[in-house]
Amino acid sequence: MKQNANAPVKDQAPAAPKPAVKPASGKQTLRKVEPYIWLLPSLVLMAVMIVIPILTVFRLSAMEISRAGIVKGFNNFANYKEILSSDIFWHTLQNTLVWTIVVVLLSTLIGFVLAMVLNQNFRGRKFVRALVIFPWATSLIIQAVIWKYIISADYGSLNVILTKLGLIDHFINWTSTAGAFFAWECWVGIFVTVPFVTFCVLSGLQSIDDTYYEAAEMDGAGFWKKLFSVTLPLVRPSLTVSTVLNIIYVFNSFPIIWTISKGDPADKTHTLVTYLYKLSFFSGKSGQAAAVSVVGFVILAICASIYMILSLKGEEAE
Amino acid sequence: MKRILAMLLAAMLVLSLAACGGNSGGTTDGSGDTSGDTGTSGSDSGEKIELNVIISQYGNNTQDWWPTFEQDFEETYDNIDLKIEIVSWNDLYTVVGTRISTQQAPDILNIDTFADYVADDLLVPAEDYTSAELKNKIIPSFWTANELDGTVWALPILASCRALFCNMDLLNEAGVTAAPTTWAEVDAACQAIKDHFGGSIVPWGLDISTDEGQAAFAYYTWNNGGGFVDADGNWALNSAANVEAMNYIKTLIDNGYCNANPYTDTRYPLQDAFNAGSQAMMIGACNMMSADSEVNYEVCDLPTQTGTPVAMGVCDRLMVFDSSITASKNADEAARLDAVSKFFDFFYDTNRYSEYMVFEGFLPVTTDSSDLLATGADQFTVGGSGAPGDNEYFANFSSILLSCDFYPSSRAEWIDVKQGVIEAEQSICQGEDAQTVLDNLQEKIEALQAQNEGQ
Repeated sequence: MKQNANAPVKDQAPAAPKPAVKPASGKQTLRKVEPYIWLLPSLVLMAVMIVIPILTVFRLSAMEISRAGIVKGFNNFANYKEILSSDIFWHTLQNTLVWTIVVVLLSTLIGFVLAMVLNQNFRGRKFVRALVIFPWATSLIIQAVIWKYIISADYGSLNVILTKLGLIDHFINWTSTAGAFFAWECWVGIFVTVPFVTFCVLSGLQSIDDTYYEAAEMDGAGFWKKLFSVTLPLVRPSLTVSTVLNIIYVFNSFPIIWTISKGDPADKTHTLVTYLYKLSFFSGKSGQAAAVSVVGFVILAICASIYMILSLKGEEAE
Repeated sequence: MKRILAMLLAAMLVLSLAACGGNSGGTTDGSGDTSGDTGTSGSDSGEKIELNVIISQYGNNTQDWWPTFEQDFEETYDNIDLKIEIVSWNDLYTVVGTRISTQQAPDILNIDTFADYVADDLLVPAEDYTSAELKNKIIPSFWTANELDGTVWALPILASCRALFCNMDLLNEAGVTAAPTTWAEVDAACQAIKDHFGGSIVPWGLDISTDEGQAAFAYYTWNNGGGFVDADGNWALNSAANVEAMNYIKTLIDNGYCNANPYTDTRYPLQDAFNAGSQAMMIGACNMMSADSEVNYEVCDLPTQTGTPVAMGVCDRLMVFDSSITASKNADEAARLDAVSKFFDFFYDTNRYSEYMVFEGFLPVTTDSSDLLATGADQFTVGGSGAPGDNEYFANFSSILLSCDFYPSSRAEWIDVKQGVIEAEQSICQGEDAQTVLDNLQEKIEALQAQNEGQ
């Protein structure tokens, strides 16, 4: 609505005398712009390496792409309809959740206990610490290949050792079913993730001042009381960081499952990442692979958002 | 001053990053237009014609043979700039897919299938670059095997055939005097080996993995009167013969006759086990025996239920991409195709091509090289070992090759069929009903065929 030019303007403050506008000096302008110039390389890197690929995947997920890799155009979200109607996708999604929860949960538990042990004073502590970090320092593919050979029923060292120890009298097929395959893959995932958790928690444990424990002991606190009332609250920030990072790493982990089973038998041991790889590079369905990728991105984005909200609430409470 | 200098450096970093992203491959919408600078072109400036070639890596020594070829070719044709790139089969599909989507395709590609590229109008018909002399010497069945909708789209580069390999020392020690010729004999031989050696020798090597599970489907269904297609060429994946063959594969696993994990064991560890003498039998490629293997083996027909054993042939191809999608932007298409034609004539030269076949251990697809190698393979050397070629090997396998069946890989649905039969095999061996699984696959492929024909 146009305002009547003659009507009195409500609550209009008397016009204040305008301050004399002083032209900004070059130095002042530079100071204002400076932070943005410093941020620019990181922003450009993020745009090129993260934002553009994500937008491209979103775009491709809604496109028809031929097997030869030619983008044919918008296909009315047929890729999403196709994957959502596939039993393999839902089984894969279920596997992904089981894989992430089992690996993160168990590796956090084992890693926490190991960190508690490594925080004690004992002879050879440095050697044991170096030993624990070994699986983390080795490439995931090498670890997966080694474990594939260890559990092989025909020539694997696990069967050989158990036979020589007299625990079994014939070679056992440790991976006779898809479930057995997947369980072994989860174990390898836990094995390679434990060192990271251990050292995250250990860094947290080492920052706890001994006086807290001395005070708790004076108040009559036992081991469990000290664990739940002193150790856990103080080590929580380290534990949170390792858990969040692990959820992202484990969810997106490709080498272990691809090296050991390639998602077989009958596509029963896939996670979203290996499934989309197979869709794209074995079945030539890049559009559907992009749609699976978007689903994975959304799940992780939700997890990251929950973490951010909880973190911000925590900061406000403090 | 220092601050200004640091900011200038930061700005330079940004600009350099921007420059890195500036040389993109161009549009990916298949329109044929390329927006980016896609490299220098010899013919644009009236200089050399550029030919980019991707060759698949067939063995550990493939990259040793091609540089000499490249050098000899460029010395013969100094107006052609030949760039040969050897790519592993593990990466080949990824590399080619990426190159095509960024309009950086090679001029000549060595790969196994071509139907998907034809569907997108990316290939040049073989008649446009094949000289009459070359066409005459390609074995006719291999020429027509590359036909789709009445046009030949690729040239065969090499072939191999699959046969049954038996470790005769192990079989004899277990009391089996001859290689099995039927499934019942296979079962009897496997049981004898299992009884005699316990778990230390694997009786039968089986690969139904993602790598090449479709080959197992072919071995067993073809030799039971079934297969991928019926006599009229229609998809017939759920035939009674196929159901019976799939159930037979399951019994091999259930009876403990084969390697423990046929779902993930590819043919390579199986070949290693056979070469090492820890596996008694397997169906494998004609060149699977390593030069240093001490196994006393026999190469036999595939066991069959029909009385007539069917061997499986595998043929890879060379194809030429349309200039609109290639990385080399030669202005003169006629000159490019002429250079391509020269490349093929040079490669299929009787002596040079025969030398490559002996080097890689594969079978020739030209009549002149087949004739030469049957009696004169020993004048060439095997890649890696340097040993002379085996005349008998080429004479025997080249004759078997003529009676082989091949995958229906020129069909548009082939990739889905291939993945489908592998998943079906694995599901059936994990306990699902064979008839139901194959019925579902047949239904899916028929729907896909109808969709392809409707387009």
